[in-house]
Amino acid sequence: MDLMEFKDLVFRKGRAAGFTDMEIFQQSSGNLSIKVFQGEVDSYTLAEDRGYSFRGKYKGHMGYAYTEILDAESADRLVRDARENAEVIDEEEQPEIFAGSPGYQAVAGIRPGLRDVTPQQMIELAKAMEAKALAMDPRVRAVNYCLLAAGDSQVSIINTKGLDLQHRANSAIAYLSAVVSQDDDTKTFGNFAVIDDFVTFDVDALARGAVQEALALLGAQPVPSGSYPVILRWEAAAALLGTFAGIFCADNVQKNLSLLKGKVGEIIAAPSITIVDDPLMARGLYSAPFDAEGVATRTKTVVEQGRLNTFLHNLKTAAKDGTESTGNAAKSYKSSVGVAPTNMFIKAGEASLPEMIAQMGDGLVIIDVQGLHSGANPVSGDFSLSAMGYLVEKGEITRPVNQITIAGNFIAMLKDVVAVGSDLNFGLPQGSHFGAPSLLVKSLAVAGT
Amino acid sequence: MLTKSQAEEILAAALEKGGDFAELFCEDTYSTNLGMVSGRVETAVSGRDYGVGIRIFSGFNSVYAYTSDVSRENLIRVARDAASALNDNAGAVCKDLQMAVRASAHPIAIYPHQRDKQFKVDLMRLAYEEAKNFAPVIEQVRISFWDEDQKVLIVNSEGVFAQDRRVRTRMKIEAVAARGSEKQSGFYGPGAHMGLEFYEKIDIRDYAREAARIAATMIDADFCPSGQFPVIIDNEFGGVIFHEACGHSLEATSVAKKTSVFADKLGQQIASELVTAYDDGTIPNAWGSANIDDEGTPTQRTLLIEKGILKGYLVDKLNGRRMGMPSTGSGRRQSYRYAPTSRMSNTFIAAGNSTPEEIIANTEFGIYAKYMGGGSVNPATGDFNFAVNEGYLVENGKITKPVRGATLIGRGSEILKKIDMVANNLALGQGMCGSVSGSIPANVGQPMIRVAEITVGGRKGRE
Repeated sequence: MDLMEFKDLVFRKGRAAGFTDMEIFQQSSGNLSIKVFQGEVDSYTLAEDRGYSFRGKYKGHMGYAYTEILDAESADRLVRDARENAEVIDEEEQPEIFAGSPGYQAVAGIRPGLRDVTPQQMIELAKAMEAKALAMDPRVRAVNYCLLAAGDSQVSIINTKGLDLQHRANSAIAYLSAVVSQDDDTKTFGNFAVIDDFVTFDVDALARGAVQEALALLGAQPVPSGSYPVILRWEAAAALLGTFAGIFCADNVQKNLSLLKGKVGEIIAAPSITIVDDPLMARGLYSAPFDAEGVATRTKTVVEQGRLNTFLHNLKTAAKDGTESTGNAAKSYKSSVGVAPTNMFIKAGEASLPEMIAQMGDGLVIIDVQGLHSGANPVSGDFSLSAMGYLVEKGEITRPVNQITIAGNFIAMLKDVVAVGSDLNFGLPQGSHFGAPSLLVKSLAVAGT
Repeated sequence: MLTKSQAEEILAAALEKGGDFAELFCEDTYSTNLGMVSGRVETAVSGRDYGVGIRIFSGFNSVYAYTSDVSRENLIRVARDAASALNDNAGAVCKDLQMAVRASAHPIAIYPHQRDKQFKVDLMRLAYEEAKNFAPVIEQVRISFWDEDQKVLIVNSEGVFAQDRRVRTRMKIEAVAARGSEKQSGFYGPGAHMGLEFYEKIDIRDYAREAARIAATMIDADFCPSGQFPVIIDNEFGGVIFHEACGHSLEATSVAKKTSVFADKLGQQIASELVTAYDDGTIPNAWGSANIDDEGTPTQRTLLIEKGILKGYLVDKLNGRRMGMPSTGSGRRQSYRYAPTSRMSNTFIAAGNSTPEEIIANTEFGIYAKYMGGGSVNPATGDFNFAVNEGYLVENGKITKPVRGATLIGRGSEILKKIDMVANNLALGQGMCGSVSGSIPANVGQPMIRVAEITVGGRKGRE
């Protein structure tokens, strides 16, 4: 059964079951990912994903159900489950199926430089990534992770109010983690790249980023416990932003799960901090012309020079706050509609990293934090994270540091930002849609020896 | 699900280009997710995951492909596309498929579809009321309910044609206590490889009360001091320390590539003599159990460490080839979207001889971690970190006051050697374990243990 046939069948069965408005949200993608280990293809995965979310209004409530297979049995189950789910849900707001925005921005989702690449070419490129890293220094013992992935995806929304939207995109990423050893000491570091064009992709830069950092970490030791001025290099700053971005989402605010409740219009961060959510960003991995409810997306300055301008909204949270959706409805075909940032970043400042190190004088540069899913509490803003980086003395990096934790509170930290770097970048681990420049923070609690 | 003749046809297509082993994993899973916030059901989603994963080996190389378009033509096309990544030689021949029928070791009394959503919501409300009414300081309670009925068929060119049906359910309770702008949360999430009879065997209100008690205790706690201290880690979910600091490094996934600190160490002392540990996928109806793993191999009880000596690894088929070892029934995956690899099932440190009271009484100064949060580990270096959800100071052999915001960090290989007391109160706790083959249900477990010294990160600074 194709989607049009299935849609007609489900909408017909749905109407008979008592649904008024109904919608089918489809996600599909095709992806090839290749991992190389010691010159051989270690894993080769060809993925065809597709899923269909059905939702509909039944006695004023929205019921959801999904399937991955289009057959008559699934059509029956979707309607039955969605109705049962609508019956148990208690929402204050009357959710709506959306008829459409007046207009939608053009967003170029297809990167021409990723087309026409063969699986064999991708295998060769992944092997070249590993070989480059292994050849870079005799202390490189292994490349424990060498991944190249490329694919395309499509999202479409069709509903009984006449909405019929579709967006296609493609993307490619590379990740390489080098293991280096000297005497009894082993260190690893991973580097990540979003690829726009396979022809111009800089394999050397990817490998060098991982190897040089891993080598620089050799001989790392903890520092004594205490309070230190800290530069969160852009990777660490972006990881923290991604972890705590939920505090800007109106659903969390309304559920009393955000420390920013009631703070719109107030100063919540240092004047050097501006945070933007940009779904229209060129080359953004989360760029799209419409959100999961079909609302046109737009660029928002969420925090402007330290002042909280707005929360991120979908139709339901906006109705509750008496405002308009910001186009931040998010869902997968397996979930109901929530709120999420798109491409979110802290705007770049003026200072280069060496200038910030000189300005700090004595302190730490943190290049990586671990344990974000356990050591960071998105409700309280508290974090206590395993970290690594470098010790800075008298404005110079003097040695690598590991086996320490840094602890603080995200909101308190945003207020303590002394300088913002010019090196804005988007990185792991949050799917590369969170970006930040390096941030110099007045002080964080460090536990070491 | 596929018939024998369809499966044979697809396996033959998969072996056209030099593969020496091919496998099909067919899945039809029906699940329900319900979420309750402040006593209101805010999310209710049910759905059907349906698809086929095709895996082909050629020596140590493997390719994987999956699709939810399960028409015969598409499956043969996908099998050929996957095979084209291999060499161009003639492949192996598929052996006759032997249908294996065995009785389930994990009987199910009430399947998820036999009760409606309202029944499940009523159970959630029971937990909600209990947690919310625990104390006035409890501001918010979140409950989530999940059940799943997963039917799998695993067929391979060695002649395996095996089916399993895994029914699991879990309720997660998170209570948030608030004072001013301060918030602290407490969590409990019991689950089992069981139908809805699980909620007749336990009283969910006991768990709800405990989640609320943790939040209410921690909101008034002082920040944890930082430094290096003896740390007492309680039983049940405290086993996450062993799961993270040691279990992952015993998975063939990292051992075969020799990126694990425990590679080539069989027979060597890797832990204190007090430590004996198992992975056991056969425990009846336990959260991490199954009749067969996701490669069709029967699950088993595997001795990992005996009195500190490394005795075994967790092995899947592909890494078993690399290591020259048979599978331990440890090949697991989240769904047809993932190639399986060696994973833990129910992994625990065995009971020792001390009593919990003796351990506390013998500790002059340290941290008592009553409930652990999650954590992670870098398998190459063994560096781990995990959060303490409910912690206390121990002073002069007595638990004195609660402390919050503690993180434990260290290196697995070092911590294992520093375990200097093991109690007799073994218990298991439920978690979801995330790794290369997805997020899977896994029990962690241990009795109360004491580690002579761990680096504790906290906001209070040095004690």
